[in-house]
Amino acid sequence: MPQATLSAARVEGLLARSLPSEELERILFDSKAELRSRVADELRIEATPDRLDLLTEAGLAAHLAGALGLAQGSLPIVASKGEGAAPSIDATPAVDPIRPVIAAALIEAPDDAPLDAGLLDEAVRFQELLHATIGRDRRAASLGIYPADRLAFPLRYDLEPLAGVRFVPLDARAEVRAPAFFAEHPMGVRFGPLGTDGTRCLTLRDATGGVLSLPPVLNARPLGEAAAGDRRLLLEATGTRAGRVADALGLLALVFLARGWSVRPVTVHAPGRTDDGRALLAPRHIDLPSDLLRTVAGRAYPASEVEHLLSRVRLAARPSPHGWQVEVPPWRPDLLSSRDLVEEVVLARGVRSEDGLLPPSPTRGRRLREVRFRRAFAARLLGLGFVPLLRPVLSPDAVVRILGRTAAVALANPVSEQFAVLRDSLEVSLLAALERNTRHGYPQRVSEVGPVVVADTSAETGARTRTHAAFVLAGEGMGFAEAAAVVDYLLRCEDLRGVREPAEIAGAIPGRAARLRLVGETVAEIAEVHPRVLSELKVPVPVAWGEVDLSALWPLVGRPTGAPTINPEGPSAERG
Amino acid sequence: MDAEPGAEDGATPVTLSPSEALLLDLLSAAPPGTLIAEEEVASRSGLSPEAVRGSLQRLRSKHLAVAEETSTSTPTLTARGRAARSAGLPERRLWRWLRERVDGVPAENLGAAGLDSEERSAAIGILRRRGWLAPGVPLRLVPGVGDSPAPLEEERVMESIASGRDDIDPKVFRALQRRGLAQVERTTTRRWRASDEGRRLPPAASAPTLLGAVSSAVLSSGAWRDRSFRPYDVRARVPFLTGARPHPYAAWLEEFEEILIGLGFEQAEGPLLETEFWNSDVLFMPQEHPARSIHDALTVRGVEGRPPPSELLERVVAAHEGRPIPGTAVPISPGWRYPYDRAVARRPILRSQTTAVSARFLAARPAPPFRMFSIDRNFRHEALDASHHLEFAQCEGILGEEGITLRHLVGVFRALAEAIGIRELKIRPSYFPFTEPSIEGYVRHPRLGWIEVFPGGLFRPEVLVPLGVGVPVAAWGIGIARLAMVALGISDIRDLYQDDLARLTGREG
Repeated sequence: MPQATLSAARVEGLLARSLPSEELERILFDSKAELRSRVADELRIEATPDRLDLLTEAGLAAHLAGALGLAQGSLPIVASKGEGAAPSIDATPAVDPIRPVIAAALIEAPDDAPLDAGLLDEAVRFQELLHATIGRDRRAASLGIYPADRLAFPLRYDLEPLAGVRFVPLDARAEVRAPAFFAEHPMGVRFGPLGTDGTRCLTLRDATGGVLSLPPVLNARPLGEAAAGDRRLLLEATGTRAGRVADALGLLALVFLARGWSVRPVTVHAPGRTDDGRALLAPRHIDLPSDLLRTVAGRAYPASEVEHLLSRVRLAARPSPHGWQVEVPPWRPDLLSSRDLVEEVVLARGVRSEDGLLPPSPTRGRRLREVRFRRAFAARLLGLGFVPLLRPVLSPDAVVRILGRTAAVALANPVSEQFAVLRDSLEVSLLAALERNTRHGYPQRVSEVGPVVVADTSAETGARTRTHAAFVLAGEGMGFAEAAAVVDYLLRCEDLRGVREPAEIAGAIPGRAARLRLVGETVAEIAEVHPRVLSELKVPVPVAWGEVDLSALWPLVGRPTGAPTINPEGPSAERG
Repeated sequence: MDAEPGAEDGATPVTLSPSEALLLDLLSAAPPGTLIAEEEVASRSGLSPEAVRGSLQRLRSKHLAVAEETSTSTPTLTARGRAARSAGLPERRLWRWLRERVDGVPAENLGAAGLDSEERSAAIGILRRRGWLAPGVPLRLVPGVGDSPAPLEEERVMESIASGRDDIDPKVFRALQRRGLAQVERTTTRRWRASDEGRRLPPAASAPTLLGAVSSAVLSSGAWRDRSFRPYDVRARVPFLTGARPHPYAAWLEEFEEILIGLGFEQAEGPLLETEFWNSDVLFMPQEHPARSIHDALTVRGVEGRPPPSELLERVVAAHEGRPIPGTAVPISPGWRYPYDRAVARRPILRSQTTAVSARFLAARPAPPFRMFSIDRNFRHEALDASHHLEFAQCEGILGEEGITLRHLVGVFRALAEAIGIRELKIRPSYFPFTEPSIEGYVRHPRLGWIEVFPGGLFRPEVLVPLGVGVPVAAWGIGIARLAMVALGISDIRDLYQDDLARLTGREG
């Protein structure tokens, strides 16, 4: 889950009171955030991915103020007086294939509190957090902050030939050419692919042609360098999707709007569409029907309690004919529908263990019959003295290779060689176990009843999950006959008798391997493991192996009920 | 199991094996106080020296025989020492060899001297200390020094040892010991007599012969009818047996299943290799959700999935994109506001949550009321450590019925916690893309304190409506591996899958 380091002093400053850690922990336990640590001024806060607004000082303080009863209702969004011509951005059609969406808003500081270094730092830290989370490392959305007083509107968002673009990167003193910037500057190298098409790059320029930034890579000096003392800022976001861009901008605006900055919309003109930007930082309205609240929460809420609870989580609600209409601020993109508002109310009240109700069971619980069949099979192996294992399906690449099981499905992004292949036979796991147990003396009798994954182009997912039961006999005198006898016994317990046919099985001694067929189906494999395999695994004794495909056997013994199946591959819940 | 009982307690009848009885008779026949050497006892009894030694020791432990022990220490040459005495000590052999090479020999040519590397360095060191070897290289003897063939001190002492003389310089002897050429050999000789108690026992010839092991011959002959069996020392050590027993983790999971079955839940399963559609899309997880990236999910090579059922796919797409479900006029919600990619839906992925099983269960449109559980494996792209495994079990459960609310979900959490012996439960808000409200149940473990165990919530309409489910559904996914670790007292998650036969059979803890 996302985490941020916040300044305790800044949060306390916004609350105008101190905040003991115990109190903070208590409030956050009932919220979607957690205090991970507090060292000196640094609060390490973790929040669920839907509540990024709690990962900035302004948002956390607003939330805490509600919980502490210091403030109620929504933070006001003040419209700016809006002197001068309406600011706008012209987006050219050239940007569409790369990064089509741009949105922006102009914000103005209260008269007595222009931008200071602390606020700029808070905004930049939150901006980076948003890039990493909702912005998906800038791919989906990236943000920019500019000193609006130094800009001449309208701005122009364009895709220009690299050769014609020169600018001073925000962290440099001298002008650079765009090709050199994308080839050499760390930010250019890292994010360049998001803002270029090989010969051209995205640019944001003001009406005089000055470069504000190369979205989504880096701002330019001086037009992209906000500083302490600035009174008007342009907040801008580009991305691939309008919703994501608007959400990112709404969250970033929280840092300023919570401190009384006012908003002036920025119009975006693009070919065939114009957005006046008024909806961008304006509240949305969502209905909260009282009957939905009751049916989800399982209890009735008096109207006054609902309004009080919403007010505590900094939402404003007005009664409506069927419940309430709730004003949702732009920094709460997690609130999509009535259902989300229900959660706000329920969680604001707190869910208590004693609220729990267990409805009388109208259903009859049971195991899958096929699972009972597998367990009975496992019990017989146990009765024969086989030590049961429970091994991961993800198996060591080396053992799969030594056995020559080339059909096994391999991971495209393995974490380690030990867990690189999906076993298609339990033999892989059992031989790996023998390899690790050579110090324990012989004979060894080991078994597993568990899932394997077998590639199958006719399956919905490209492979089928099957359950096998397998065993190995390791020790002097262990051979094909001993393993075949075990398989015969296991089948005889099900009143079944198969026919063994010679077979070529990878990793087996030629001429000492068989498949066992039953009404035309292969249900088991039996073999003596080849000395080549044993020597590679450093197993010093002969090993015989048998493996029964329980998924193949079940239809022959299970007398299934004809129940609907939820699993395209067989096992399912059995209804009726 | 033929150890003999002790005779510490006078009330315990003394029983003797045939060989013990024979030897006690032999010792008792000698005049009182007469000691007989152990070798003499062996030759008189006709038994092997080993059998005699064991039986006499047992007679002594029963206080029936007494031994007088004499230990002697004798300096002797080791096998290496004896070889050096005949072929010459390494320093003597090196001296002889160098004496014939007055111009000196480079160190690397010393191989021809017939000494192994250990002998070579010892010999060079000794000759240098004696001042017979000139400093530096090549190696050569100091002219005029050490020409005399007089014996070295070591050679003199070795001769004395070999001929049993006692003119042995202790300092030189210790040096030979360090070089593994000489040793002190200790020998113990025992002479035996019967104790007073032993002499009082009646001769074995008059005692009834006791039966040893029960054999088929004993049974068929009926010999057991008029004879007694020699008693065993029932406290003696016996062989250490191990065997196959149910796997502890599997057994624990089965126990947990019983609890759910008791609460009216029926079991379900689904495939381990899923498509992204069933693993995520149908659960209203946006296709760009961070948990779906290759850094969090495991994908496979060379396998292609098939498209999901088209009608269901279109309904799910509408929910994601915030459009009305086909056949309806109003969207369920604004959705995720992005263009859904149908090609992603068919991509195979290793199941990352058992909620996929719930999705398949619900897609089969079960008639309410229904309760379903699934305890099965899931996979995530995690670095392996004591608390994270790429492959882990989850217990998924859903409960669908008219009138189901969040309070019922909390009720199930409480029932499950109580069933595993935990009374304290507290709930806090949480977030999952497919449930709203979402909560997490924490339980207080006596040793570990509050631990997060029950994440859950009510399925969102964006999940249920496309699936055609008309009743509210409470859902949860318990990190069952974590609970199992607590219950089994395991601190490393990898131990749940361990395959050490010594531990699985109980040979080692």
